[in-house]
Amino acid sequence: MKKLYKIILLFILGISFTNINCGKKTIDNISTELLPLEENPMVCIKVVLNIGSADDPAGKEGLSALTFTMLSDGGSEHLTYHEISQKFYPMAAYIDMRIDKEMTVFSGTIHKDNLDKYYSLLKDILLNPGFREEDFIRIKTNHLNFLQRTLVNNMDETFGKEILNLMMYQEHPYGHTELGTVQSVKRLTLDDVKNHYENHFVQGNLTIGIAGGYPSDFPKKVLSDFSILPKGRTPELTLPDQQMPEGLNIVIADKNTPATAISMGFPIPITRSDPDFFALWIAGSHFGEHRQHLSHLFQKIREERGQNYGDYAYIEHFTEGRGKFPATNICRQQQYFSIWIRPLINSNRHFVLRQAIRELKKLIEEGIPEERFELTKKYLVNYTKLYTQTLSEKLGWQIDSKYYGYKNFLEEARNRIPKIKLEEVNSAIKKYLNYKNLYIAIVTDEAYLFKENLISNTPSPINYSTPNMSEEILREDLVIQEFPLDIRPENVTTTQAYLFFKETGIPSKNTTKVN
Amino acid sequence: MVKSTSAALIVFMFLLSPIFSNSSDVFPYDYKIEQFENGLTLVSIPLNNPDVISYYTIVRSGSRNEIEPGKSGFAHFFEHMMFKGTKTIPQKKYNKFLTELGTGTNGYTSDDYTCYFLVFAGQENLEKVVKTEADRFINLHYTEEMLKTEAAVIEGEYYSNVSNPGRRLYETLRHTAFEKHPYKHTTLGYLKDIQDMPTQYEYSKLYQKRFYAPDNTIILVTGDFNHQELAGFIKNYYGNWEPSHYELKTPEEPPQKTAKRAHHHWPVPTTPRLAIAFHGPEFSVEKIDKAALDLIAEVGFSQSSSLYQRLIMEEQKCFSLYPDFPDRRDPHLLIINALVKQEEDISYVEEEIFKELEHYKNELIPEDQLEDVKSNLKYSLARQLGNTEGIADILSFYINLTADPNSINKLFDLYQKITSQNIKEMAQKYFIKTSSTVVTLTGGEEK
Repeated sequence: MKKLYKIILLFILGISFTNINCGKKTIDNISTELLPLEENPMVCIKVVLNIGSADDPAGKEGLSALTFTMLSDGGSEHLTYHEISQKFYPMAAYIDMRIDKEMTVFSGTIHKDNLDKYYSLLKDILLNPGFREEDFIRIKTNHLNFLQRTLVNNMDETFGKEILNLMMYQEHPYGHTELGTVQSVKRLTLDDVKNHYENHFVQGNLTIGIAGGYPSDFPKKVLSDFSILPKGRTPELTLPDQQMPEGLNIVIADKNTPATAISMGFPIPITRSDPDFFALWIAGSHFGEHRQHLSHLFQKIREERGQNYGDYAYIEHFTEGRGKFPATNICRQQQYFSIWIRPLINSNRHFVLRQAIRELKKLIEEGIPEERFELTKKYLVNYTKLYTQTLSEKLGWQIDSKYYGYKNFLEEARNRIPKIKLEEVNSAIKKYLNYKNLYIAIVTDEAYLFKENLISNTPSPINYSTPNMSEEILREDLVIQEFPLDIRPENVTTTQAYLFFKETGIPSKNTTKVN
Repeated sequence: MVKSTSAALIVFMFLLSPIFSNSSDVFPYDYKIEQFENGLTLVSIPLNNPDVISYYTIVRSGSRNEIEPGKSGFAHFFEHMMFKGTKTIPQKKYNKFLTELGTGTNGYTSDDYTCYFLVFAGQENLEKVVKTEADRFINLHYTEEMLKTEAAVIEGEYYSNVSNPGRRLYETLRHTAFEKHPYKHTTLGYLKDIQDMPTQYEYSKLYQKRFYAPDNTIILVTGDFNHQELAGFIKNYYGNWEPSHYELKTPEEPPQKTAKRAHHHWPVPTTPRLAIAFHGPEFSVEKIDKAALDLIAEVGFSQSSSLYQRLIMEEQKCFSLYPDFPDRRDPHLLIINALVKQEEDISYVEEEIFKELEHYKNELIPEDQLEDVKSNLKYSLARQLGNTEGIADILSFYINLTADPNSINKLFDLYQKITSQNIKEMAQKYFIKTSSTVVTLTGGEEK
């Protein structure tokens, strides 16, 4: 109701609907984001669709990913995929397609020498897709192979993150991987794909971004070409309330592996649109900045104790883009807090899990030390200047700024962060974070043993391959190894890894022993 | 654009003449290269990109330098130790400095070199960066205890990717194909050597003395700064770094006399993998061998190739097919990789790849196909050069190979000269069955 009021107010004030905070588009025509940089020899084009895997119909999970991969990897009505690849090849061109829960982006960066040739192919691919049976079979097989073999067997870090997603978003449109499930993908037909394209590849769902040294009349031409798409838009996705876990809720995927991957977290009620985001960002950066020494968790687990390659925390969904910077165009209406513990030797899994939760408790109860607070603020002000070095990044952040209701989100952040007070950060931590109610996803071996140790709170002394720690660390270790975790047996599910992603949700079959 | 030659006034150093790029060069940026008395080389590219500077330190030592038994992975391990600080700027202070600067602590190790890079905003920070980086390269200080803790992190790094069968296939391929050259092992090293790292404190000091010296190091700076000011900072802060004069004698790989095969069984279900490798030449901007084989790899096995079209699109036997022929200082492997859908099709795919290779030994590639590849390489490079960090990334790689920033342009000039006849000759010279190594990987039964 509140949102409706806001829309009416904006309408009265004549403000473009695309500026609505945290927004699905609410107009029936194509939006554009332009960033002309005349001197630049390259041009970046992004066609962003406000449709993602959360728009998959029930029982047809993976349909959006399959449909949009049929565009990027499936050829047009006039040219086969191979013919397009051959035409792209001398220009070193391609179309990069990424799909997230609520957003899909087709993007490419091309030298302006080749802009006309590239654009005519891009246009053909997106506006006149080929939808050939042989491409459908090929792409569907690829997706099934990823779900059946690769994800559960060959990439445990990603596997852990996907289990966390399943746990957080049960019976929620976010609650399946972007590629869907084995059963749902098997059911998908070429007609499903065609219909999905027709229903959703419509003007009101599209934002076209163009950046770089393009000719001044180019955007007009693009807009005119894409205007042959039907007007209209997909109704705004209404998401159910996010579900907080009750207590420590654990799912363990059981497999033959020497190393344990852990991801944990819970939904939070704010996104970048919320003023509190900036204070919480400082907290998240201090506690677990992605792949940086600044991360407190990284210092405690990796640097002090050498347990793994890294340990990080995030206050929104994070995907790594270029280098270690955040990827763009993965905007969501709902976000979550998470901790990522990279794989560590199985024998220390219980200790490190305790350590991470204990550090989270300390963060919440004690807040951020003053010196770290000032340091993190300086860091963010400078580090965010590096986020927009490439054309694609500049354009990506520009589009995301609009989604979350800012003219320039990064500039806004650099203005606001220096003014934030420590009390505001510590108050945001207490308001949005907690350590007692967590979803915890674990990929490990001998899950049944781990479960027993977890529910009985068995002390878990750390095993150092080379005992060389200082007295201070050893004293803290004695505390960590006894740190109580209130885990109820009914809150721990152990499931053989290969059962995941066959159907929607978490496989319920408990394992007793690994075969 | 003509550069000022005023850097010549800096009399304490040997100054190579500033070299200016031709406007038609694929790498169009003007650069300066200077060598200091202690052997340290500085390459700089001032750019107009607003306010971002990339500061790269390239130590020309990688896993190629791990010539002694039991020391595989040491270059990478030492990269980690380089973040331990000095007596004047201990690790915590160093981390704080980087954090305030808003940059991360970044480095990577490859077969031939180790690269440390800082990307940061603000010209006013340049002197602080030079001073701090010089201090850690000259005065690195760590205890045996610190080394032991870091050794455990390396083992953790190994485990972070332990579920990836692609890495295991690559390890097996290199281990099988090479006999004597350190390219036999990957940059991460053998697990048994990683587990022995905690005992290697003394060796780490020897490694540092040999390779972490100005005569084995190049500093590359791109972005928004003044060259003369930078050169002054470098002279001032790196001036007392002592050269090592160490000469590495990398074991020469003997010619392979018989074809080799290896198979790796992966304990859990996985996509079957095939890798076919041939011993190839080292990187060169003068001899055509490597450049010609680069072009064959693209013509024969890239996404636009006819074999790709057949195996991926028509017959749908493979998920992917791609070549990999890294530029290295010593002769490396030309590898053709395939992810095969069904285990029973591995032999078929292998046969088809060998047939394709034979084809290039007997037939001339049409010139227009060759032109397409040359064009692809040119535009691929252009796409990566769009920002200070991209320029530094690309240039640091070529500098590591030759110490000559102009080697990118020389390489692309060489590509332009290569004809179909050259290609045929190189195919005949290198695609010899007895020089091949085939490695397969298949997984456990599906459940």
